[in-house]
Amino acid sequence: MRDNGRPVWAYFVLCITGLFFLAPFLTMARFAFQNVLVIDLGWSNLFENWSFDKATAAFGATYFAESLWYSLRLAVFTSVLSVAIIVPTAVFVHLRLKRLRTIIEFFTLLPYVIPAIGLVAGIVVLKPYIRGFIASDYSLVPFYAVLSLPFTYRALDSALQSLPLETLVSASRSLGATWTQTLFRVLLPNIKTAVISGVFLTIAIVLGEYTIADVLLKRTLPAFMVEYRGTDPRGGYALAVLTLALTTLLFVVLGLLTRSRHEKSRSS
Amino acid sequence: MQLMSKQWKKALAGVTVLGLSLTACGGSESSEESDMSSETTTADAASSSGADLTALYEECKTEGKVNLIALPDEWANYKGILQSFRDKYPGVENPVANPDASSADEMAAVETLAGQPDMPDNVDVSPAIAQEMVDKGLFEPYVVTSDAEIPAGLKDAANNWTAAYYGIMAITTNTKIVSTAPMTFADLKKPEYKGLVALNGDPREAGAAFAAVMAASFANGGSADDILPGIEYFAELKSSGNLGSTDVTKETVLSGETPIAIDWSYNVPGLAGELEAAGITYETHFPSDGIYGGFYGQGVVKNSPHQACSKLWLEHLLSNEGALGYLEGGAVPARIEALTKAGLVTDEVKKNLPPEELLGQVKFLTPTQVAAAKKVLAEKWGPMVADAG
Amino acid sequence: MISLKTEKGGTASKGVVPPFLLNWLGLLPFAALIFVFLVVPAIGVFIQALHNSDGSVGFGSMREAVTGQNFDAFVFSFGFSLGTATVGTLFGLLVAYAIAVTSRPRWVRGVAMSFSGVTANMGGVLLAFAFLSLLGRQGVLTKIFSALGWDLYAGDFNLGNTVGLIVVYSYFNIPLMVLVSLAAVENVKGTWREACSSLGGNAFTYWRRVGLPVLSPSIISGFLLLFANSFSAYATARALTDNSKIVPLRIGFFLSGDIKTGTDSLGYALAAWMIIVMAVCIALYWIARSRAERWQRA
Repeated sequence: MRDNGRPVWAYFVLCITGLFFLAPFLTMARFAFQNVLVIDLGWSNLFENWSFDKATAAFGATYFAESLWYSLRLAVFTSVLSVAIIVPTAVFVHLRLKRLRTIIEFFTLLPYVIPAIGLVAGIVVLKPYIRGFIASDYSLVPFYAVLSLPFTYRALDSALQSLPLETLVSASRSLGATWTQTLFRVLLPNIKTAVISGVFLTIAIVLGEYTIADVLLKRTLPAFMVEYRGTDPRGGYALAVLTLALTTLLFVVLGLLTRSRHEKSRSS
Repeated sequence: MQLMSKQWKKALAGVTVLGLSLTACGGSESSEESDMSSETTTADAASSSGADLTALYEECKTEGKVNLIALPDEWANYKGILQSFRDKYPGVENPVANPDASSADEMAAVETLAGQPDMPDNVDVSPAIAQEMVDKGLFEPYVVTSDAEIPAGLKDAANNWTAAYYGIMAITTNTKIVSTAPMTFADLKKPEYKGLVALNGDPREAGAAFAAVMAASFANGGSADDILPGIEYFAELKSSGNLGSTDVTKETVLSGETPIAIDWSYNVPGLAGELEAAGITYETHFPSDGIYGGFYGQGVVKNSPHQACSKLWLEHLLSNEGALGYLEGGAVPARIEALTKAGLVTDEVKKNLPPEELLGQVKFLTPTQVAAAKKVLAEKWGPMVADAG
Repeated sequence: MISLKTEKGGTASKGVVPPFLLNWLGLLPFAALIFVFLVVPAIGVFIQALHNSDGSVGFGSMREAVTGQNFDAFVFSFGFSLGTATVGTLFGLLVAYAIAVTSRPRWVRGVAMSFSGVTANMGGVLLAFAFLSLLGRQGVLTKIFSALGWDLYAGDFNLGNTVGLIVVYSYFNIPLMVLVSLAAVENVKGTWREACSSLGGNAFTYWRRVGLPVLSPSIISGFLLLFANSFSAYATARALTDNSKIVPLRIGFFLSGDIKTGTDSLGYALAAWMIIVMAVCIALYWIARSRAERWQRA
């Protein structure tokens, strides 16, 4: 009964779970795309009044394109900063400061210690002193990079654990490569999936974060969506549904990319 | 459009013009026509001190825009008022940032964006925040040309801010979901409304909710100095289960989740179109047992990037067009007396307003009374209402 | 394996910087990022928190933040987060185990992880309204239930009360638990199980002697993470309940709104205490995780 890969009870659990997670999403989509009040909803009009109009109207809204572009730029810059800082740090820690590995990991968990509302309160305190910095469009980048730390570092940490890191590095160096060459030509290809997974998670965070963008008064995509919901709720939720669907797709793609590697190491 | 070109010619003939060529011409730049604007522009012939404003307008044109904040389209018909401003003063933009921002958010924006090109030029804030802004020196005092026609209770003594409109509390019901709409605070206690009554926020935080509790206090023997009966009233509503806990937002209104809302009288007319499109029928009643008048203050922000336009905007709000715009939204303009004398307040225009006999009973709280009420709320609202049960 | 690395030094160091210093210098970018953008704001919070309501420096606000209504809020937040974390941990583990034992169809794991990645980060008004559209008074499921004869709202049910909130919070807690514990669970279900049975143990023995002890650090660390997550959740609760016994909501009162009650320093004090609670929580999480790590490479 067990270990044949098709346990009935597991299917049951997964089905119920799937339903629990899909249901609110579906009813939210229904609200966005179908113009029928729930009180009027019945079998007869279940398929009436569905339209994509609200979503199209949202796409045409004044600040949509601008905020989307802004959020995408933020995603790119945050990913770059995040990777640029964490990859060398992780490699460094694994090579030279092995004892400190767990301590460093604790520091990457700080974003959980100082949650959004705490961080926002802190920013409010500092605002008068850092006005120039806040004025920049990209002032969100370092904050988002910090938020992505737990995920990015963890992914890299696990990946580096499974590599014979010292051997690789000493082999590469003894063959005459510089540190840069070693990093880019030898190490990165081996931790490719971890880096990509970190980037995807960072993108998800950037596209979903609202509290900090709000306090810094930046019109990111999530901030725009909140604003738009105040004008046209159904349009706003249409956008949200689409964003969620897209992000899930992004993760599925990520899953496909990492699957082959995982299949090999998985015990069956 | 004819009236526009007449104004242009007048302006050219007047004071020295700087950089006219800079502003892109073309009348109202927004091509979307708003149904509501057409009625307000015809009255500009009646606006007082037109000549003085020309100079201000010229100066404003060189600035090009006025940064506004926290003005939702359906709040007291700001959509129409924004449009009528653009119609009347072509070449000046009036973008609104963060329509759903609270008064405290507005003040925060003024402070955070100080010195930036997108710093708000003008704000629309609750009396409490207005007072705080005065204390912090964030306003640029300015006497509006129509100042004499504004009652003393609706402006700051030192001309830091002026309240262009006020309203009273109303109970709006989604009659698709609730067959008999409640009409007074006493009605709201009926068991048939279990779970259906909603406040627009937490009174410790939101102006509209604060006003609702104060109004309920009036309805239950309280006064401007005593908000406790109001708290007790809501405590009763909460324990009977009538007071729902869902936060009122536009989506909960449109989905019918919060069918009975206690909110400002001027927050409903703006939603009319959308409610109809969603197939919702509704009724608004002004509870005669609890009449609380509340206003929001507008003022020119000190050292903001577009001073002249900010002043022009304030002038517009207090002009006849602005007043008619507010009326359309169900808000009472500050200069209602002057307008009535000028014969501009027809029945058609008054249709969204609360009944006159109720408006006559409106008294505004002084800042001291507001502060005292806040204190009681901070102590008692939590244990008695929000956190109870 | 030849290691050219010494304990403190590195391989042929080319620069004049002593190897010892180089080690720590390498951490500089990372440390700088965390310090400037996380630690400094937190310090700001604490500085403001250490003021009394009259503006003088002192512990007045810190004390006020944990007395009376505020104390009740901490107690409630604590208990509530404990409850949501427990529910999330139990169900999360169950789902993780279900995923682990299902090797066919092969896409189950991928899809589950993808969806978990998205939903774990979801929250706020979006999640609240999604649930309102499902189980609110005008929810689709509510309507289906009433058509079947069951009035969901006849009693005390409300998405904003404790039970309702636990259900909603589970939407992001369960995926978070899955993400955190799946790897560990997968290890546990495999060859060790076979080894145990070949040594004469049954399912019960396995779980009691091998499975649970090995999993417990992961379970505890997941639980703590969920606790921290629930404790600091703000927007979701705000949309569904007027209850202000949740600490983040009280902090919100001081940072926004039309009417600000009380002094700013009290708000910062609340935030400061919250950070302290979180710090303890995450410290425990980290300890538990380090223990869990030992088994994951097996």
